[in-house]
Amino acid sequence: MSDQPIIQVRDLHISIDMDEGTLTPVRGVSFEIHPGETLGLVGESGCGKSLTSKAILGINEKKCHARGEILFRDGEDRVTDMLKLDPRGKAIRAIRGSQISMIFQEPMVAFSPMYTIGNQINECTRLHITKDKKESKAITLEMMKKVGIANAEKRYDQFPHEFSGGMLQRALIAMALVCRPRLLIADEPTTALDVTIQAQILELMQELQKELGMAILFITHDLGTVAKMCDRVAVMYLGRIVETGTAREIYRNPQHPYTRGLMNSVHKIGTRKLDRLFSIEGTVPLALNLKDGCGFFDRCGERTEGICDLKEPELYCLGGTHCAACVRCREEVTGGA
Amino acid sequence: MREASEKPVILRVSHITKRFVSKGICVHAVTDVSFDVRKGETIGIVGESGCGKTTLGRCIVRAIEATEGEIQYVGMDGRTYDLLGLKKDEMKKIRKEIQMIFQDPYSSLDPRMTVIDIIGEPLKANYPRMPKAELEEKVIRMAEKVGLNTTYLKRYPHAFSGGQRQRIGTARALILNPQLIVCDEAVSALDVSIQAQIINLLKDLQRELDLTYIFISHDLSVVEHISDRVGVMYLGRLVEFGDTEKLFTRPCHPYTEALLSSVPVADPDIRNERIPLMGEIPNPANPPSGCYFHERCRYCRKKCTEEVPVLREVDGRQVACHFAEELQLRGFDYEM
Amino acid sequence: MTRADRKTLRAIKKAEKAKKKEEKYYLASQWQLMARKLGRHKLARVSMVILGFLYLVALFGDFLAPYSLTAYDADAKDMPPTPIHFMYGDEFIGPYVFPSKWETLKMSVAEMSRAKKEAAERGETFSTRQIVTDETSPQKLQWLVHGSPYRILGIFESDIHLFGVEKGKIFLFGSDNLGRDLFSRIILGGQVSLTIPFAGTLLSFVLGLLIGSISGYFGGWVDNVIQRIIEVLNSLPSLPLWMALSAAIPAGIPPVRMYLLITVILSLIGWTGLARVVRGKFMSLKNEDYILAARLAGVSDMKIILKHMVPGFMSYLIVNLTLGIPSMIIGETSMSFLGLGIQAPATSWGVLLKEAQNVTNIVSHPWCLIPLFFVVLTVLAFNFLGDGMRDAADPYK
Repeated sequence: MSDQPIIQVRDLHISIDMDEGTLTPVRGVSFEIHPGETLGLVGESGCGKSLTSKAILGINEKKCHARGEILFRDGEDRVTDMLKLDPRGKAIRAIRGSQISMIFQEPMVAFSPMYTIGNQINECTRLHITKDKKESKAITLEMMKKVGIANAEKRYDQFPHEFSGGMLQRALIAMALVCRPRLLIADEPTTALDVTIQAQILELMQELQKELGMAILFITHDLGTVAKMCDRVAVMYLGRIVETGTAREIYRNPQHPYTRGLMNSVHKIGTRKLDRLFSIEGTVPLALNLKDGCGFFDRCGERTEGICDLKEPELYCLGGTHCAACVRCREEVTGGA
Repeated sequence: MREASEKPVILRVSHITKRFVSKGICVHAVTDVSFDVRKGETIGIVGESGCGKTTLGRCIVRAIEATEGEIQYVGMDGRTYDLLGLKKDEMKKIRKEIQMIFQDPYSSLDPRMTVIDIIGEPLKANYPRMPKAELEEKVIRMAEKVGLNTTYLKRYPHAFSGGQRQRIGTARALILNPQLIVCDEAVSALDVSIQAQIINLLKDLQRELDLTYIFISHDLSVVEHISDRVGVMYLGRLVEFGDTEKLFTRPCHPYTEALLSSVPVADPDIRNERIPLMGEIPNPANPPSGCYFHERCRYCRKKCTEEVPVLREVDGRQVACHFAEELQLRGFDYEM
Repeated sequence: MTRADRKTLRAIKKAEKAKKKEEKYYLASQWQLMARKLGRHKLARVSMVILGFLYLVALFGDFLAPYSLTAYDADAKDMPPTPIHFMYGDEFIGPYVFPSKWETLKMSVAEMSRAKKEAAERGETFSTRQIVTDETSPQKLQWLVHGSPYRILGIFESDIHLFGVEKGKIFLFGSDNLGRDLFSRIILGGQVSLTIPFAGTLLSFVLGLLIGSISGYFGGWVDNVIQRIIEVLNSLPSLPLWMALSAAIPAGIPPVRMYLLITVILSLIGWTGLARVVRGKFMSLKNEDYILAARLAGVSDMKIILKHMVPGFMSYLIVNLTLGIPSMIIGETSMSFLGLGIQAPATSWGVLLKEAQNVTNIVSHPWCLIPLFFVVLTVLAFNFLGDGMRDAADPYK
């Protein structure tokens, strides 16, 4: 396996024109994912994490204008810029579903209630792998068994309403993986599920990743599942990545005040019960007519007037893979050098 | 927490059952649930979707009528009321004392009313003769208490974010000066950093106003943080009920154990071994024989398939399992 | 003040303005939000202007129409639209018309056959009756002339009409087979065609709201009975029903009463759809959390309905009403077209279209289709307006 990244997102900006002005939900996001790796994209609602992932597949709404580069390396080592492809064209459709696929938060709405589950998974098989009816059904059934759907032959002919939420999410994973994609985008895949089922699904994804060697872009707001699933983590706030590093670096030694606030505002079972949880003041501002300076300025407990409100800080690397977008980190870097 | 056990019981739920019948199918949403609530404490009710925790909460506030059972409630006047048998005018009086905070901060506020009207509505309904100035003053004081900017009270709900809306909902629940609040997934729809704000707010208010909470949630870490005692529900039944710390460190019911082991811990170095649950949650319209959990339980024996276990006292808490004494179940290790 | 100062001052003012705008949005009630959203819908805006114009014309119809309903001219049957000239010779004298009338040509049989032949060569048909225009006496258009008396808004008596000519007639849209001015009749017919649907929808609004709320609130067997009644009413074919009901209207009643009765007939059938909408909304709102919150707060059932539920679906109702008006217009038009509606001398667009029933009539007098244009215009405008309102109905989405 080559160590070239499967996907490289470079300086991605997304803007949406509205009556009130231009909304900029994603402002300069860059990351890369290597084969077999899981990158967790963490952030609260409205931070732009979903738009970023949808931009990779070119499935954002028409009014979203994306700029930057999304370089995808396919199985034959060819690199394509996904943003340059026509979002309705043949080229991108050949990649979607077969090379990059996606699973969603709500398995209930991801399937059409009018067709059987097997039929819908098989559609993907027949589109990308083989036109042969018997062969494709065999491939589909094999994948359904692989994701832990017991009694796959019988389940093949059942309709979505006959499946429970957990089973549907398994079926959705089967549909996403049947073409053995190189990259799987998982957009909050377990948020709608109960904890016991959530744990099952996460374990299933890990097993399948080991077996099929795909890379996963895991999008979530839940710090618990990220810790369980991801090798590397990128924390997003207001359309920018504010901190990135390995999961251990982020959890053990969070550097950005936002990351720290996020970590502290979740109570961990088994730790000493603090009387009050740490909470970040205020709310996430709308990404409309943003001021200069750090996006987190208004809510930050460690802000310095005259520095933080002048210029948006870049990502400063703290050695290794750990980078944070906070001027305090720059002081550390330059002070240490 | 220790003092709480000496405080008087204000709510005693006994053998509450709720069945929904539609088109000939009878769904057992809540079956034979009993527990008591002491003044000033927080009771957490956890369980997965469809376990009946929301129905139970709605039975307690009498948003829906329980099919069977009894709820005794000690009012603020010190008298004991049979909550489910109350007449309309008595119920109106008691209703002031038992309020509810909802899950969805968007659908729980009427978008056509200003914030001041929303918070003041309960006052207007119960004290129709209260002068407008007094009402507004009360609303403003309550808004300050829940941390709302009082200059924005003339605005409509669409001007507020989820967290602020939840503060509005909280103010509405508190304006009648209740003693018991049922929080139905009150923070589940909020972002993590906002969740912490609301949880802190609820705790502060509890201390200040001597409130009692029944906190219904599927999020175990939130429940562990906020509750003094926790009840675990499975398929409409209460399977375990007891002191939070005890229940989380050493669960006595196999379902509690499995539930606890699936909680993702926000630490990449801790990989707790998950206890796999076999199969899926059975259909509540057609529950299994014996112990409702036996089909999925790894400790299942013959007795479990035949006899319904009753809730009984084991190790200082209540458990509905035939073999609670024998099983050595694993919970969380507490660092103390 | 330096230039930089002025620049910052302007920036501050701009920021203040933006803030005020934002504040206004936060303080906006549901109706204000809806109005704002409707204003952004271009087609709806244009439709509103068109409808406003049409209703203004209808309101001042007697003043705008040069002739009254009863006026006719046996010498001016089936006249095409009168051409309006501005230049007389080389001289500009303002808008004027030439008086014209039908005359039967006096000619011998031989002359006639020759003329017929010539006409055939030119590809025309020859008729002995021809319109003769008196080009020697141009009739200037007179403004604010005295004519037949009328009451504006039913109160102010007047006989002043916007325009007219002294000698001869002016037919902007031509005339019908009795020599009546189509332009006047379209305006005066519009008074009926545009108001009956309104009154009708209002009545069915009341009926639908009442019956729908009862059905939705009580549920159970009451709901069941009402739903079955609606189904029965909906399954009746509307044409025979109209015929039966209009047969029940006694003959020879004054036109005003006739309008009213037609309205009642239309709305007695039209309320069913609305009742269903109300019932459905009632049922879905019943399960909203804020309704439960109000119940727990001790608010009485009646107050919950009036304060939370009715305002909750009012916007949807108004949308439904707007979208319902076109079908009422069509209904009135079809009834009149079938001869079940308004009787002469009163008129409506349907009555006017009735005169365009026959194909030969349309070929030789195409202007008798002009009322159709107004029907289509009005129906389209209401549909577009309703469309815009539907988009605006839920401003919180």
